[in-house]
Amino acid sequence: MKKFKILPYAALFSVFLLAGTMAAFAQENIEIVHDAAFENQTRPPVAFAHDAHNEKAGIDDCGECHHAYADGEKQMGDDSVGMECSQCHYGKPGQGVADLIRAYHLQCAGCHGERKAGPVLCGECHRRR
Amino acid sequence: MHAVFNFVRGPMAGIAFAVFIIGCLYQMASMWRLARKKDAVVFHYFSLFYALRSIIHWMVPFAALNMRRHPVMTGVTFVFHLCLFAVPFFLSSHAILFKESWDVSWAWLPDGIADIMTLAVMGACLFFLGRRIFLREVRYLTTVSDVLILFCVALPFFSGFWAGQQWPGFPVMTLVHMISGEILLMLIPFTRLRHMLFFPVIRGYMGSEFGAVRRARDW
Repeated sequence: MKKFKILPYAALFSVFLLAGTMAAFAQENIEIVHDAAFENQTRPPVAFAHDAHNEKAGIDDCGECHHAYADGEKQMGDDSVGMECSQCHYGKPGQGVADLIRAYHLQCAGCHGERKAGPVLCGECHRRR
Repeated sequence: MHAVFNFVRGPMAGIAFAVFIIGCLYQMASMWRLARKKDAVVFHYFSLFYALRSIIHWMVPFAALNMRRHPVMTGVTFVFHLCLFAVPFFLSSHAILFKESWDVSWAWLPDGIADIMTLAVMGACLFFLGRRIFLREVRYLTTVSDVLILFCVALPFFSGFWAGQQWPGFPVMTLVHMISGEILLMLIPFTRLRHMLFFPVIRGYMGSEFGAVRRARDW
């Protein structure tokens, strides 16, 4: 009887686990805009290359997108990196999923429209594969 | 591209809504004035009960004799009008645009259902076109404007479906969709599409005369 060798499988599994963990934690290149609040997505998720986008758009200040508000005022020099958008824009009394979608759309497409650069049409971001 | 989009999404949408609303108010006011001048007696025998009785009968499929005489046309026209109204308001992308602009929201249709309803609108437009071409009694009454109006109604649905499916050239198609939709909205008060406004008025008039004066049915 051939002996089952666990080591090669364990090694292979570890490599995948490591790669997966690195991908999850690496902020260098977010491939898809993710928010846990979107359980059933109506439209395909939006591809987003974090670093390439910011380089092209000339964005250095994290707080420009990851904005932080207190008492309705944007806090200059502060940011909300590490928080999901839904932590503020969804789930409060009177807020529905449409409020979260609205926040995303105004944040992304709103800026693109103002700067006249980047996608603004539905299908330009929510690409069907 | 961005300049066109910003204009069509912003000022032109506002203009389209304004022209639509003011145009509708103007049409209703001038109809009121005309009735005062030419048929003032209608204001005396107008009856809300008989008006509503007629309106409701003509809004229920097959509730009127003439509808039962033309079952296919009745079926198509009810499906057409239902989808024509429901899709623009309850399509998810449109509901989200209302939410973005005015911060109001409501439930929306699953995209698959909205796709089928859009195809139904286009199919019905083809049916109406075929009817105008092949039915002699309808062809006799058809003018160029009838065909143009059908085209104007179908275009926002056709281009919207194209844009939604993201078929080749969809960015341009999305702009075509927005512009043709806004033009259609502005056309409503000033073309025969204003039957949208006058349907209840005409039925109210007929219902009042048939019910309150002649003691008869008008369906």
